[in-house]
Amino acid sequence: MNITAWSTVSPYGLGRAAFTAGLLARRPTAVALDPGQWQVPDARACLVPQFDPRTTLGLKGTRTMNRVTGLAVTAVGDLAQDLGAPAGPIDDPMDPAADGIMPGSMAGSMPRTALVLGTTTGSVQSMMDFTRSSLTGERPFDVEPAAIPNSVMNCAAAQCAIWHHIQGPNTTLACGRPSGLLALAYARRLLLGGRAETVLCGGAEEYSPARSWLEHHSRDGEPALLGEGAAILRVEFTDGPDTLATVLAVESRVCLPTSSGTGRASRAVTYTLGAAATATLTATAPAPANTRPTSANRTALAETDVAATVAEAVRRALGRAGVAPRNVWAAVPSGHSEGESAALRELFGTAALERVPATGDLLGDTGAASAAFQLTATLAAGADESGRVAVITSVDPGGAVAAAVLRLGDGAFRGTPR
Amino acid sequence: MVITGLGVVSSIGIGPERFAAGLRLGRSGVSPITAFDTTGYAHANGCQVLGFDPAAWIRRTPVDSLGRASRFSAAAARMAVQDAGLIDRQLQVARCQVSIGTTDGESYDLDRLTAAEVAGGPAHLSPRLARRVPSPLLSVAVARELGLTDAEVLTVGTACSAGNYALGNGLDAIRFGDADFALCGGADAVCRKTFTAFYRLGTIAPDCCRPFDVGRQGILTGEGAGVLLLESLGSARARGARVYAEVLGYGLNCDAYHPVAPNEESVARCMALALSDAGVKPQEVDLISAHGTGTKANDITESRAIRRVFGERPPRTVALKSMLGHTMGAASALGAIACSLAITHRFIPPTINHVETDPECPIDCVPNTAVEADLRIVQNNGLAFGGNNAVVLLGKHEELL
Repeated sequence: MNITAWSTVSPYGLGRAAFTAGLLARRPTAVALDPGQWQVPDARACLVPQFDPRTTLGLKGTRTMNRVTGLAVTAVGDLAQDLGAPAGPIDDPMDPAADGIMPGSMAGSMPRTALVLGTTTGSVQSMMDFTRSSLTGERPFDVEPAAIPNSVMNCAAAQCAIWHHIQGPNTTLACGRPSGLLALAYARRLLLGGRAETVLCGGAEEYSPARSWLEHHSRDGEPALLGEGAAILRVEFTDGPDTLATVLAVESRVCLPTSSGTGRASRAVTYTLGAAATATLTATAPAPANTRPTSANRTALAETDVAATVAEAVRRALGRAGVAPRNVWAAVPSGHSEGESAALRELFGTAALERVPATGDLLGDTGAASAAFQLTATLAAGADESGRVAVITSVDPGGAVAAAVLRLGDGAFRGTPR
Repeated sequence: MVITGLGVVSSIGIGPERFAAGLRLGRSGVSPITAFDTTGYAHANGCQVLGFDPAAWIRRTPVDSLGRASRFSAAAARMAVQDAGLIDRQLQVARCQVSIGTTDGESYDLDRLTAAEVAGGPAHLSPRLARRVPSPLLSVAVARELGLTDAEVLTVGTACSAGNYALGNGLDAIRFGDADFALCGGADAVCRKTFTAFYRLGTIAPDCCRPFDVGRQGILTGEGAGVLLLESLGSARARGARVYAEVLGYGLNCDAYHPVAPNEESVARCMALALSDAGVKPQEVDLISAHGTGTKANDITESRAIRRVFGERPPRTVALKSMLGHTMGAASALGAIACSLAITHRFIPPTINHVETDPECPIDCVPNTAVEADLRIVQNNGLAFGGNNAVVLLGKHEELL
């Protein structure tokens, strides 16, 4: 299975060119949040600059579109247009201002294209806003009907389909950080089953006050750098000149919480930032002691367990791919787990971890988009490294671990540059 | 690929035996909603799961670390494993696929967090509840409870057809060598958010859900979980497992048309995709378990789509939501379980609350009383907001001589 195109909407801006330029320059994207605009616990975040669904996508069909949907529709749009989908939005049937007719014909549609989109929990902002209007309205059902689809997790994927006429399987994978890697495994099965000829897969995550506060409380107030964006890859079985990378293997494992889930002995893996700060941890060293007390029911993963799980997933993936560790050119961790980075360092050495700029540091924690960003970063950094092998890993705070092995190709983009 | 274990948490019975008995009796799961304060709504019936004791099923996981939907999914998975005659160790040394579909994830907790935020601001939310919210936990809870490490764990957020999406994924995972066992299904818990959404759309029935009836007034929101254990026929034979049914195939597509209204042509195409994948001709289907929400729009569109595919004499078409309410992400998983039980126990569960079939929905919905039937092939429909259609075909397992 080959990756033949990709697109991003990232804190570097819209499109591949902005992403590639910013990433290769290793430019951090965190910006100070204006406290007048953002009532959030974070001082900084990595936001897609000037992004707003209405300005980016136009006024038609975006009246009630939430941010994560806008990010996904924009990123998928770049690739859908490459595939020949009609450009531009269709009329929004929920929008009273829209006067057109829905496209009843299937002309220009793509029944053989699937969309597999990763999320964590959809838009918790839209969900909480909806419930808040029920709780604070004069009557509990004084809610905006047009906001209803936004409050469901599959909204972004469904809107991508509506906007870009994608009529194949339309799957929302609510798998958090590893979504982009798990989506590759899922896409492979869709292709093997003949359920699609082309799969657009990746992930999208928005920055919002609701997400910020929920993650803040989940971490017991530990600081973190959150990011947002969407990254989408086109995968197919065709072996043409546009192969950017071949997916040799995807392997997933689960890291179980220790000691009945009460994380007493070790620092929680959740939302720890930055590979650079964690140079001391190795896969076999004891985990550092907690730096702060955690709530009683915190289901923490021991960093040593994470390291062992990641190492096992990588070993199996390499075994399936038939690649020896010494032949791995780049190792690309999420950057949000000390144990994960430590495991890759031990397997591949420090140099391998530095070949692809660390999206976890540069873009912050982009949640369900993070693994997809790791993939696009690998393709961007490895554009002239045909034949090299890269290992990409991810760990969700819940314990799902995934590893993918890619062999970079020599394909050139045939897609429309943005 | 065969189904050898069933786990059920539903408003008409917990566990496959009680669920089967409820289906056969045409039990109604309706009760006044108590999950949230219903003051101000003119009517608020639902199909809640009453008398569910998570501690009876959940052993390895601190129950307090799980939201209500994750408790349902973990408990249903535990039941499915027991029902299949497996012990955890057998799964732990195998390669497993866990796929749990959902519409709302832990929105029940998210609603409570929203209420706390309204009351005291966002700085004073419960960390315990906040940690339960992320949707990946619905499937992770299954892996934790069963002690699975060699597993691919997916939460499928494809709304109200997510259970069928999960089942199809489990089928393909085994078919293509990604797993030895698949635990797949769906889970959701009743919440204010979704009740209010359907209420605002005018699609909550005041009393009960009457699919395909001329007097139908909409859905009732329900909750629960269904998890099916899938394995290859060879695996089932080798361990002498009871086989409920075979999974023959499935179809997925997307209307790409409207955020909430289903599209007849596209729904019909999804059924055709599933039939083709399963290698089944329309006239070979003995029963359809409809999405059958009991809304005006769904039932007309779905019955028309069925007639497009199956012609003027479609197979009997039942709507379990008359008994279970709309259990959202669990709906098509519970539908698939009901189909498996119907095949195994040779009966068709009824569409209850039925008075007079809507002439615009001309199908035999098996009104009010179950009938005996030898079913060979059964189709399970799942439709969702966003035009996410998923149809699964199950067949009776007949040993070849």
